[in-house]
Amino acid sequence: MTETPTTLKEYEADLLVESVELAADDVVILTLAHPDGHTLPTWTPGAHIDLVLTDDLVRQYSLCSSPSDSHRLQVGVLRAEDSRGGSTYIHDEVAQGSTVRVRGPRNHFPLVSSPRYLFIAGGIGVTPMLPMIEEAEAVGADWELVYGGRTRASMAFISTLEQYGDKVTLVPRDESQPSLSGRIDTLLGTPRSDTLVYCCGPEALLEAVEAACASWPSGALHVERFHAKAVEGEDTAFEVVLARSGQTITVPPGQSIFHAVEELGIPVLGSCHEGVCGTCETVVLEGDVDHRDVVLSDSEKASNETMMVCVSRCRGDRLVIDL
Amino acid sequence: MTQPFHGRVATPVVVPTDCWYAVTPSSAIGHELTALRVVGRPVVLFRTSGGEAVALEDRCAHRAYPLSAGTLDGDTIRCGLCGFVYDAGGQCVHVPTQSRVPLGAHVDAYPVRESDGLVWVWFGEPGRARLHRLPELPWLADPAWATVRGEQQVAASFLLLHENFADVTQVPFVAPEISPAVLGSVPPPLQVTVSETTVSLRREFPPARMPAWQSALVGLPDTEEFATVQEGYLLSPAVWVDYWDVQTTPEAWARLRFTQLVTPIDERSSRLLWAVSRDFAVADGSATEELTAMFGNYYARVLVAMETAQGVIDLDGPGREVNVSADVVGLKIREIVEALLVEEGA
Repeated sequence: MTETPTTLKEYEADLLVESVELAADDVVILTLAHPDGHTLPTWTPGAHIDLVLTDDLVRQYSLCSSPSDSHRLQVGVLRAEDSRGGSTYIHDEVAQGSTVRVRGPRNHFPLVSSPRYLFIAGGIGVTPMLPMIEEAEAVGADWELVYGGRTRASMAFISTLEQYGDKVTLVPRDESQPSLSGRIDTLLGTPRSDTLVYCCGPEALLEAVEAACASWPSGALHVERFHAKAVEGEDTAFEVVLARSGQTITVPPGQSIFHAVEELGIPVLGSCHEGVCGTCETVVLEGDVDHRDVVLSDSEKASNETMMVCVSRCRGDRLVIDL
Repeated sequence: MTQPFHGRVATPVVVPTDCWYAVTPSSAIGHELTALRVVGRPVVLFRTSGGEAVALEDRCAHRAYPLSAGTLDGDTIRCGLCGFVYDAGGQCVHVPTQSRVPLGAHVDAYPVRESDGLVWVWFGEPGRARLHRLPELPWLADPAWATVRGEQQVAASFLLLHENFADVTQVPFVAPEISPAVLGSVPPPLQVTVSETTVSLRREFPPARMPAWQSALVGLPDTEEFATVQEGYLLSPAVWVDYWDVQTTPEAWARLRFTQLVTPIDERSSRLLWAVSRDFAVADGSATEELTAMFGNYYARVLVAMETAQGVIDLDGPGREVNVSADVVGLKIREIVEALLVEEGA
């Protein structure tokens, strides 16, 4: 029997930090380039990259530069008070001239064509919206950005956004009545069929926007979150049929499908291992998935067409997946 | 008792428009009207007196008649049926029967770029054209490389063509006499790399004989064995490139670049512009005729297989497909195209 082993990985490179710019209180913008001057992979607005800081410290950051720059990638990083180490590492250890390992780009927050957009950003959540705004301008779409933060000094990119005049509403909490969260009902009270809503920011903002969009057309709201949600429920053991490889495995409690599959040498992609980055999304052919990720929308979860194999499990005894 | 079906139902092909497509070689466009059907649209191309390539909707705004059946007069086209005159921006500038041009008298003018000896045209949202990079194919215009080319229309979707180029295992089945000896034995590991918009593959073959045509050109005995590295790249839905590099000495390589420019005519037919470029025996002009015929024959055989596959789809639908691990490249191509269609709002 001949076997053609297939290995699958994402683009990965050690990039040079060309600059570290302090863009606002506790926010730095890293500009990354290939040390040999090579072009970097093409991406589209909403894409993010992994910064592989150490073997155990991998974090996702949205790209805030222009996709038309083929030689540079830029990300904005907020020093988080409750940092698990990623943003602290970047603020304290990464400097101009450093090398940072980058993986990706990938995109679970794509800008879908629409005549009109409402962008709602909380704090560092504004970063993916900069290339989105560039594209909306280029195609002549109608758009509005409502951008909240603690104080004006804590909010990055204000000078870049000021060129767009009254398309941008800044809502620093210390200057604004009402605050951004107080405006959500007014902003989203009337569903529109010609508008897509994009939101990124702290969990409380995302939940408020999701609730306010409940009566909007399905698919109108796009959100991205890079923090996992707490998982309820115990792990059970279940069977997984690997359709492509023609094998069946049992996944015990405490082991993820991803690790069980990887152990067999089957090509599978993964990165965050907490259901946040979307890299391990796999097609489901049969079975009822116990979704534990934060990538899929409610309707995507209900359809059971795909799952994140790094965290999600099975509601019944058996899943058939296309791996 | 029938076995239950597994696998996924393939989705019908939709052609993405937000992509630069290589419509024709630059050398094919001059100061005359050329008609082509591209991405489901009739297109007329010409070069202005200043040398700039122009692509317009090949249909008069007034009545159903192709502008390509009209006359190129300076940098304007006069419709052969009604005499409406259009400038290089697609705007009607004169109608024979009144002094004022009516409202809406214009045809689409598609953004055009020329690069690497090719005319690239954008059929998507015009504002997005400048946000998408042209694929880079430097060997096509580089004097350090010699290129043989051809062009063929094929009754198969652009996706079938890409999946064939990406599936390296098809070559020994489709064209056994042209495939390198190296493909006949156990294939080496397939290394696949992905990013948001691209997929590439790499295989490193242990030493084996070169095909006779290549060893003759390189000037090495065809009984000696050399290691080969193969790489394949989806540069965009318009371009699949293969590298086949033979290591002739520890420091030197004999390199080949197969450029496959896939331009959809519609959902089930395409135009393939192919080029095979070599960086060895570049000055050997006598090889050109032989290689053009040989590779033309190879591509013709591949395209017949693709038309057979398209015939199955046309008759009985996309159907269910069972995948193997090595299909990861072709499946990623489909994901890339689907993501592009989502962004287009298709």
